[in-house]
Amino acid sequence: MSGATLPVVLPARSEGRTHAIRYFLRKNPRMLVGVVLLAILLFVALFAPLIAPYDPIKVVVTDALEPPSIDHLLGTDDLGRDVFSRVLWGSRVSLSVGLISVTIGFLVGVTIGLLAGYLGGTFDLLAMRVIDALLAFPALVLAIAITAALGPQIQNAMIAIGVVAVPGYARLTRGQVLAVRSREYIAAARTVGVPPLRIVLRHIFPNIANSLVVQATLATAFAILAEAALSFLGLGPQPPYPSWGQDINYSQRYLANMKWWMSAGPGIAIFIAVFTFNFLGDALRDALDPRLRRSG
Amino acid sequence: MTTYILRRLLLMIPVALLVTIGIFVIIRIAPGDPVRTYAGENPDEATIAAVRTQLGLDQPLPIQYAAWLSRAVQGDLGRSFQTKQRVVEAIAERLPVTFELGAAALLISVTVALVVGVISAVKRNSVIDLVTTSVTLAGVSFPNFYLGLLLILLFAYVVPGHLLPPGGWTPFATDPGDNLRRLILPAITIATASLAVNLRQVRSSLLDVFGQDYVRTARAKGLRERAVVVRHALKNALIPVVTIIGIQVGAIIEGAIITETIFFIPGIGRLAVQAIPSQDYPIVQGVVLVSALSFMLSTLAVDILYAFLDPRISFGGVEA
Repeated sequence: MSGATLPVVLPARSEGRTHAIRYFLRKNPRMLVGVVLLAILLFVALFAPLIAPYDPIKVVVTDALEPPSIDHLLGTDDLGRDVFSRVLWGSRVSLSVGLISVTIGFLVGVTIGLLAGYLGGTFDLLAMRVIDALLAFPALVLAIAITAALGPQIQNAMIAIGVVAVPGYARLTRGQVLAVRSREYIAAARTVGVPPLRIVLRHIFPNIANSLVVQATLATAFAILAEAALSFLGLGPQPPYPSWGQDINYSQRYLANMKWWMSAGPGIAIFIAVFTFNFLGDALRDALDPRLRRSG
Repeated sequence: MTTYILRRLLLMIPVALLVTIGIFVIIRIAPGDPVRTYAGENPDEATIAAVRTQLGLDQPLPIQYAAWLSRAVQGDLGRSFQTKQRVVEAIAERLPVTFELGAAALLISVTVALVVGVISAVKRNSVIDLVTTSVTLAGVSFPNFYLGLLLILLFAYVVPGHLLPPGGWTPFATDPGDNLRRLILPAITIATASLAVNLRQVRSSLLDVFGQDYVRTARAKGLRERAVVVRHALKNALIPVVTIIGIQVGAIIEGAIITETIFFIPGIGRLAVQAIPSQDYPIVQGVVLVSALSFMLSTLAVDILYAFLDPRISFGGVEA
């Protein structure tokens, strides 16, 4: 090697990042499948008004209860509304409830977990007992109780599912913080006088973010399923607004008449959405956190 | 062991208290005045005030909570706003139905998970394993209320001869045959949700154990594969499975709420769902309380069983 100093050309930052993402996806093909599925879901939800062939709430009595055909891909319901259009519009409810409730759970749960793990002491003890109490409820029962108390509305369903998600994040974050807190780099940061908030946000949080991302993805799958269940019980968005769970409940009365298509669309849509997040969560876990990788 | 159980029981008390506070608060933040529901159609102000005093709703919240808790501990959870029936009675009437349904679901889930999970782990990476793992991933993502509807469609309407009824309930004591016919579909519906989780757990903990030295020793000394799997591997692999099954009790209660609604089964799940639109809060409160307590007790039972099965963790501390 010669002693001359060669100029180092760094690639543009954004280019480097794109390359890194591409490399990461190529290395983890399951992630690629998950990301593509997610992109399709988001596309459908964002552009439902443009893709949907019909108005999802327009009643056309003459078209009532038609089986799937070229005109109506998933048939029509008893009011002549196009099931396919309702399924596309319904994705907006499911995804927004999923994402917003997971955000609520994430912000509250991670904050509690960070504080409990870093501060320890009385705060940790009290916070963890509250978390234990939340965990003592079967998740869906708690969500139903909260939504029933607050009133059947989409916002309340979001809050309820968000509250139910809190313990998962809080426990995970606390555990991870406890594991990271005793590392040398944290001791070093503390020694040089870095303030506690900065230690938590700049040194601890980035090191536990991977497991939180995995948890958030899997929690979104649960949130979508929970929203569907709440809507099925009449605790989600109210008619005539399309929502998968509520549409399945509505279709129940026509089951004996073999009008199976009314529930097939929303049922399969819930499955695809939940499957996407479960699949992506599993793939992310394998890719980001090899320690958590399940044997086999 | 006794110390462990005692400590575990003591730890449960503050959590149980917090649970009751939670339930009390959830119901009190509800919009709408329960007095108006209780006082009947168009009551005058005097009646409203009288009912409010009678229900103790004119007291400060902490006193209301203390009164509610002391009554609850004595088994008095109030009366249904709608039917005026005692909540404890309403729940006690329906609990055996939910219990039977839950037990059947758990039995199906655990049996299938054990059989298929063991085959899947023993024949790792075979076609059976591949199909099992894929179906499992699909199973966790499938909404169980839609599965319930599909089962009804298939077995009550599509299959000639209407093999199984679409819903309804006959108590076991009245007609055991009809009871079982009506039990099958809802039990399968509930079981499917937990089956996926149980199966995964059986498979992965067996695979963990297969890598252990004592399994290699068992194989090396020439034991037949069946003996290795059943006597050496499965026995140890089942320890984590027990924990997962305990957690499934929560999933079963959740499943019962939805499934009883679909199949018109008069259990506590349907009781709660019917109480929601009419704002019959004492009923909702009662069902939520019973669900939370059953879930807590099952977790406790699992912790104790776990300590019993794996003595390494029982005396080390509570963090099992």
